[in-house]
Amino acid sequence: MPGRVRRNTELGLILLGAVITIGAYILASLGRSDVLPADVVPFLVAVLVLLLGAHIANRFLAPDADGLLLPLAALLNGIGYVFIARLDEDLAGLQAMWTAVGIGLYIATLLVVRRTRLLERYRFTVGLLAMLLLLLPLVPSVGQQIGGARIWVSLGPVNFQPGEFAKIAFAVFFAGYLVERRELLGMATFKLGPVHIPDPKHLAPVVIAWGVSLVVMMFERDLGSALLFFVLFLVMLWIATQRVWYVATGFVLFGLGAWFSWTRFSHVQVRVSAWLDPWADPDTAGQIIEGTYAMAWGGLAGTGLGLGFPWKIPVVETDFIFAAIGEELGLLGATAVIVAFLLMTGSGLRIAARASDPFDKLLATGLTTLLAVQAFIIIGGVVRLLPLTGVTLPFVSYGGSSLLANYVLLALLVRISDQSSRRPATRPERERAAA
Amino acid sequence: MNRHLRYLVVVLLVLYTALFVRLNQIQVFQAEELNAHDGNNRAAERDYNRARGTISTIDGQLVARSVQTSGRFEFQREYPEGELYAHVAGYISFEFGADGVEKVYNDELAGQTFDFEFDNFSDLFVNDDDVGDVTLTLDHDVQEVAREQLGDRLGSVVALDPETGGIIAFWSNPSFDPNLLATNDLEAAEAARTLYLAFPTKPLLHKMYQEVYFPGSTFKVVTSAAGLDSGLVTEDEPAYPVATEYTPPLTTQSISNFGGSSCGGTLFEILAASCNSAFAEMGAMTLGPNIMVEGAEGFGFNDSPPIDLPSPAESIFPTDYGEALDPPDSDEPGTIYENTPALAQASIGQYEVAATPLQMALVAAGVANDGVVMRPHVMHDIRDSNGNVVEEYDEGEWLEAMDSASASTLRQAMIGVVESGTANAMAIPGYEVGGKTGTAQLGTEPPTSHAWIIGFAGPEGGEPEVVVAVLVQAQEGASEQTGGQVAAPIARAVLEEALGA
Repeated sequence: MPGRVRRNTELGLILLGAVITIGAYILASLGRSDVLPADVVPFLVAVLVLLLGAHIANRFLAPDADGLLLPLAALLNGIGYVFIARLDEDLAGLQAMWTAVGIGLYIATLLVVRRTRLLERYRFTVGLLAMLLLLLPLVPSVGQQIGGARIWVSLGPVNFQPGEFAKIAFAVFFAGYLVERRELLGMATFKLGPVHIPDPKHLAPVVIAWGVSLVVMMFERDLGSALLFFVLFLVMLWIATQRVWYVATGFVLFGLGAWFSWTRFSHVQVRVSAWLDPWADPDTAGQIIEGTYAMAWGGLAGTGLGLGFPWKIPVVETDFIFAAIGEELGLLGATAVIVAFLLMTGSGLRIAARASDPFDKLLATGLTTLLAVQAFIIIGGVVRLLPLTGVTLPFVSYGGSSLLANYVLLALLVRISDQSSRRPATRPERERAAA
Repeated sequence: MNRHLRYLVVVLLVLYTALFVRLNQIQVFQAEELNAHDGNNRAAERDYNRARGTISTIDGQLVARSVQTSGRFEFQREYPEGELYAHVAGYISFEFGADGVEKVYNDELAGQTFDFEFDNFSDLFVNDDDVGDVTLTLDHDVQEVAREQLGDRLGSVVALDPETGGIIAFWSNPSFDPNLLATNDLEAAEAARTLYLAFPTKPLLHKMYQEVYFPGSTFKVVTSAAGLDSGLVTEDEPAYPVATEYTPPLTTQSISNFGGSSCGGTLFEILAASCNSAFAEMGAMTLGPNIMVEGAEGFGFNDSPPIDLPSPAESIFPTDYGEALDPPDSDEPGTIYENTPALAQASIGQYEVAATPLQMALVAAGVANDGVVMRPHVMHDIRDSNGNVVEEYDEGEWLEAMDSASASTLRQAMIGVVESGTANAMAIPGYEVGGKTGTAQLGTEPPTSHAWIIGFAGPEGGEPEVVVAVLVQAQEGASEQTGGQVAAPIARAVLEEALGA
């Protein structure tokens, strides 16, 4: 599909997303107080300016990129904003600001990273940066423990969660490292009966990634991020080497780690018992219980925007925003959100499949995995498929760090997509020959 | 690598499908259960933030309504008649749930049944939630007479239409003020509830159908019905010996007649005299346990009546009378069982027999309605805000207690009790009234008893239109006259009001 058609499709979808967001914003206000929102005109202008800004940036900076990613992110961001505005006006103001900064960062990323080769070249610098970002919250006086997890960093007036950025840096680093080593890692040098096993010394990276995850889990008490980092590494290793053996080893190691922390750490035990039977101890599992009630209350079609009781759920704006959507938009709305993430995942992996450069392919896989798995971990926690871990729902939850990081992630995917669509002019000929 | 990317797509699809399945479980399959879960007050919250339907009597008296208020919730539930309908309409409280009609017909009152939801869906943008208004079968005038007549005495009054099962009056003293429990001032509500729970007379209990009492001699109607329906007792035979007492087999403990009087004879005579010795012998020897148990259960004993109010109590007629002794292994009437003396007691409403006032009204209703006991109910219909009926109570039979001919004979016998027996205080000039009194002795020092009466009334030569059961608890005195003296005037006043006499 030529770039111009993609961009026009993107424009249409973005306008559709804007209409849904603005319509939902008005309905939520009507639902709550029977009046039109006072700021509906500025809101409309802001939504259009932001979305069209990002779209125009695509036209100039990534004209041949996939046309689905930006509209889907904008839709999720818009729905998330409507719910945050419906829950807390102060947070909504901040979220609006973060969205503007996020889209600014999206454009900036497209501007700075004109070629992914740039990232590949600086992979070790980026890897070091990832480690620093990840461990920053553990530094005394800089790191802050909020709500049980030590994942915040406070530098002067700015509070942020460096882990949100660390995950992207890790994806870049892993992609660079694995492209370099995959031949070696993929070689079966050891034979155990009929099974080919890579030389144990090549397992070192797996063990290091496992160790990093454990550090995050134990010292930062951030189970969700630990799981996310580990899954990211395993998936990238698997795609790079095509050895299922690594994945198996990884899962065994992670299982051991999880079992170990379950026996040793009370905060892990609390999460697990709240997952297995929240009603056994309603005081500690209040969030899960209220979240479940909220979704059940929504039923198939939802209570309608502004007509539910999502404020009954503690910390609903971040961890449990999905339950609020389930309550007011029902199974239909919640499924729409899941489908939106699936479509983004599909687009991301299609970008990976089409990329001819191995680094691009791995990076696109890693970034898409981050997005898909993070959404799965938090939605899974909310619907009690997994123990609850406090990660954000990308683009939807309240939170500056999360929003900014995910717009950067999106920009990188768009960059890869654009770059692989514009590859040497010899390719179409080869395709024609095949057809 | 692309092959492995396809595997990754499959894995992620499986994971996301699992999310979708869990979401369906929570939002569709378990939703109802979760919505009603303890500690989930969303339903109450919703109900408190919009007007609920009203509850009114059949003659238009407003029993419950929602009025707009400021404060924690948008609406306050009000019960203009206070205690009068507390045991029927119940209350709805944010803190401790709902009771009575407010509970049973909550979905209709809150506009949550499918019909109403469908309407609401179609006018999604009108914001005009339609809720159901419940009309009760109760008649305000009759209900007021019931309260007036019982006065300060503890007890219950039940009046119902035997042909439909619709309850006309349903009163139990002490009652409570539902306004105190339904108030949006949740602390005051909690305090009121604590206070009510502390009363030994249990005002929050709907005693007309949630509490059982010894039915005393009113139970002889059940014994008579069992006898007539089995064919072993007719208008003419057997004739029981005129005696002051009856001593069942296997015991020396005799069952004596009130005040040592002598009585006996055929059914009409012994019912009019409320003859203990004759009915004890009828139940124990003429009929035996099988017919007696079947007879009692035919009126609804040992089962909860299917009334549209919460938690009706089961009335009890004991079923186990041991092995047949003489002749052994027989189940024919006349057989002596290990526990035949208990059966003799049970046949006159003593031993472990216990009944709710509603159950005894249903006994009278079965007799009055040609042997058929209709399902008792308090809902007449449900209307939308335009006054159109959207749901009517689906009347139906609950049980067939006896055949129509036996019922007719028993009616004549009960009319005899009013004309020339213990229930003559219930007679209403110009109407055909039948009844049976009862006095269930509680103790002798000082002598106290529950005074009972059950009965029916209708135009002369016509079908009975109203049945009644009155229980006055723990009255001084313990003669067979007590029921007739204490309970009969209440029953007559209620019948008169219901008949418009």
